[in-house]
Amino acid sequence: MTGHPSVAIGVEDGVVVAGISGEIDLSNATEITDALLDGVPNEALGLVIDLSEVSYLDSAGVRMLAELDHRLGWRAQVLRVVAPEASRSRRVLEIAGLERVLSIDFTVEAARTSVHDGSDGD
Amino acid sequence: MPRVDRDDIVAIVVLGVLYYIAARLGLRLAIVEDNITPLWPPTGLALVAFLRYGRRLWPGVAIAAFLVNLPITNLPVAVLTAAGNTLAPIAAAWLLERAGFRQQIDRVRDVVALVGLGALLSMAISATIGTAALLLSSRLALDGFWGAWTVWWAGDAMGILVVAPFLLCVLTWNQVEPRLGLRRLPEALVMLSLLLSASVFALWNTGQLLFLLPPLVGWIAWRFQLRGAAPAVLLVSTVATWAVSRKVGWFADLSLTEQMLTLQLFNATIAFTAFFLSALVSERTQARERLQRAADDLEGRVRQRTSQLVEANEHLGRQITERREAETKLRASEHELAEAQELARLGRWEWDLESGTVTWSDDLYRIHGYEPGAFPMTFDKAVELVPEEDRRRIERNLATAFATRGRELPHIEYRIVRPDGELRTLLGRARMFFDEAGSPVRMLGVVQDITERVDYDRQHLIAETLQRALLPEDLPTVDGLALAARYLPAEVGFKAGGDWYDVIPLAGGRVGLVIGDVAGHGLEAASVMGQLRMAVRAYALEGHQPADIVEHADAVLRVVASDEIATMTYAEVHPASGAVRIVGAGHPPPIAIDADGARYLDLPKQPPIGVAAGWAYEEVVVDIAPGAKIVLYTDGLIDRRDIALEEGLERLLAAADIDPGRPVETVCRDLISELAPSEAADDIALLAMERLRVRDEAFRFRMAAEPAELARMRRALGGWLRGIGVEVEDANDLVLACAEACSNAVRHAYGPGAGTVDIEARRDDGAVEVVVRDFGHWRERRGQDGGRGLALIEALAPSMRIERTERGTVVTMRRTLRGPVSV
Repeated sequence: MTGHPSVAIGVEDGVVVAGISGEIDLSNATEITDALLDGVPNEALGLVIDLSEVSYLDSAGVRMLAELDHRLGWRAQVLRVVAPEASRSRRVLEIAGLERVLSIDFTVEAARTSVHDGSDGD
Repeated sequence: MPRVDRDDIVAIVVLGVLYYIAARLGLRLAIVEDNITPLWPPTGLALVAFLRYGRRLWPGVAIAAFLVNLPITNLPVAVLTAAGNTLAPIAAAWLLERAGFRQQIDRVRDVVALVGLGALLSMAISATIGTAALLLSSRLALDGFWGAWTVWWAGDAMGILVVAPFLLCVLTWNQVEPRLGLRRLPEALVMLSLLLSASVFALWNTGQLLFLLPPLVGWIAWRFQLRGAAPAVLLVSTVATWAVSRKVGWFADLSLTEQMLTLQLFNATIAFTAFFLSALVSERTQARERLQRAADDLEGRVRQRTSQLVEANEHLGRQITERREAETKLRASEHELAEAQELARLGRWEWDLESGTVTWSDDLYRIHGYEPGAFPMTFDKAVELVPEEDRRRIERNLATAFATRGRELPHIEYRIVRPDGELRTLLGRARMFFDEAGSPVRMLGVVQDITERVDYDRQHLIAETLQRALLPEDLPTVDGLALAARYLPAEVGFKAGGDWYDVIPLAGGRVGLVIGDVAGHGLEAASVMGQLRMAVRAYALEGHQPADIVEHADAVLRVVASDEIATMTYAEVHPASGAVRIVGAGHPPPIAIDADGARYLDLPKQPPIGVAAGWAYEEVVVDIAPGAKIVLYTDGLIDRRDIALEEGLERLLAAADIDPGRPVETVCRDLISELAPSEAADDIALLAMERLRVRDEAFRFRMAAEPAELARMRRALGGWLRGIGVEVEDANDLVLACAEACSNAVRHAYGPGAGTVDIEARRDDGAVEVVVRDFGHWRERRGQDGGRGLALIEALAPSMRIERTERGTVVTMRRTLRGPVSV
């Protein structure tokens, strides 16, 4: 059982969906951040990060999400995070107080819809 | 508004008159003007009246106070003063009632309440109203206000302090224990006279002599409590106040202010000392009486319990005797098979219902204790031999048979009395025959003597019940040990009773294991067993050494049953170290089971207890590893008629050797099912223990200060937490908190070169403590992390501590476990 995470990136309707699986910590957070930033083209409406398959997330992961939010934000791109209710990642986001900062959805579908709605609204 | 009846009016008038008299007396003691006195007795009177008879008597006080004041002031001042004089004792009575004041003043808190609430606090009311009235009527200048107020307040307070206790003492005279007999009257009179002389002498000579009085008052208070203190205080205060007001004695040389101050201080000191001392003594006396009562009660209970025990013992003795007789009788016919015996005691009878003749077989005569054909038989004659209550059952049985025309009568167990008076128990079976018309014509019956069988069943049941009652119902829980035990009573013969086992938790986590077998069986062996078990228990709990315990048991056995012997093994186990100290006394050797299999422990051959007086028993110390077991048993498990003893021991060892990893519960179950004979002729007791592996060792982990090491650390800690049974939620949070602390160390503690981080975790009660230690130099954070890591740790393990020293940083996190923790 390796802790090495994998990042699967797909684009649909201008929304980039990145499914991460495995563990996110200090050893790989930078790596993942780079992979995600590389995966978001300039014309994308936004990024959905799916944490459903993440088995471990700590403050390094939290920092990563905050940084992504920040960097996408000033490019007017939307970041939405998928963390199912009662999942381990969701608990960490709650404790770290990111629930109020980030936009969090329960499912990828919901997140994708929100990205579209957000851009329509603009 | 409460109804005011005639009795109340009488009481109000009486109170008014008394108040008026007391006030007139009080005014004779005035030293300033005509109406300010250092001692104002009516206040005490009013307070006592309100306390004892209710505050509704207030009009008596109000009117009397008005009448007292009117001649010496004018109308408004008299009205106001009377109001103050009424309100103050009302307030005092109310406050004291609220404070739970006892009128016997026999507790220190009563004294404190009387002084604080009754005197000092409440009397501020009358002093304030009274002085204000004087001021308003211009009888007093403004700058004289506080002086007058103080004097007024002190006078009223002294009235409470000096007069109220005396009146309460008189009124509660008969409610106080112990009663004062006339015998002590001379002593009281002598002391009071002495006090009076001393007071007069001191007041008329020099002030220093006043110091003579407190010890005297204290002495009286100590001897007579309130009933001495109250009169003494009243006496001394009255004399002193009178002396001051008459300007006699050395007081006369002082200025007015000095007079007042000295007098008030003197009176207050005397009163407080006397009442405080008397309450203290009362309290102590009461406490002693309570203690005495408790002791008497205890003694009574011990006496009662002892007599119950004696009774129980006698009962047991009677049962033992009965059983012995039954056993002797059974032995007499031991050679006969039980069935043959019962067949031999089978009698037949026939009852011709038409002629009324009854015919008995020869055996039936013998069963009843007569020569065959000793007399002609009839139904009435036959039932004459049956005790009254059993006869009624037989008759009811017959009546039912006749009424229902049943062919088969229900079996009936009944007793008969033989000519020599011996009771026998019989089992009767009968059948009825009818003619063609359906009328009963004849009955045939068979009777069996079942006395021995009934006795046997009863005795066996008693012995077994007793045995079970004397053995521990549940084994105690002992940290570090798993325990299991079995007791199987003998199934045939009179052999139940005598085997025992016990588990005794001792100080320091140690535990005493006992197995034993009192020779002989039945009730007597069971009762000896019970006493031995308790003796061993008592000596073990007293902290005796294993060999001493066996020697004491030997001595006890000689006392409780001088002709009995018993075998036993005592083992004292220290689960933490695995040390076992064993003493064997003629008992089959214990079995030790460890990873290598089962073996008998080689103990020195020592005699059973009750055999060799003064034998110095020796102990053997063995060390057992975690996971090893010791099995103690009694000889019922190995001793069988059909095999030799050696063979029994070999079989037991082979059965114990089968699977060394079995838990003790399974060991017991398997040994019993493998070895216990189907019809056990002897009791079997079995006690097995396992020294549990200590799984709950502290977690220690060292990692290189590199991010890649974090995952390894998380897995190791998570595994340890699961291993000690921490619930998933708690474990996840603890791992996260620890990882955050480690990440911080990785990021901040060291330069790019090598460094290490040590992690230690241990369970502590219902909490887990994790300590993360690095050996670098802390420096301010590189880059921005917004303190997210620390915030997370604090949320997950609220009692976090960070210590930064020259040699590194230590983060200690502690989390109380929420979930149930299984061990």
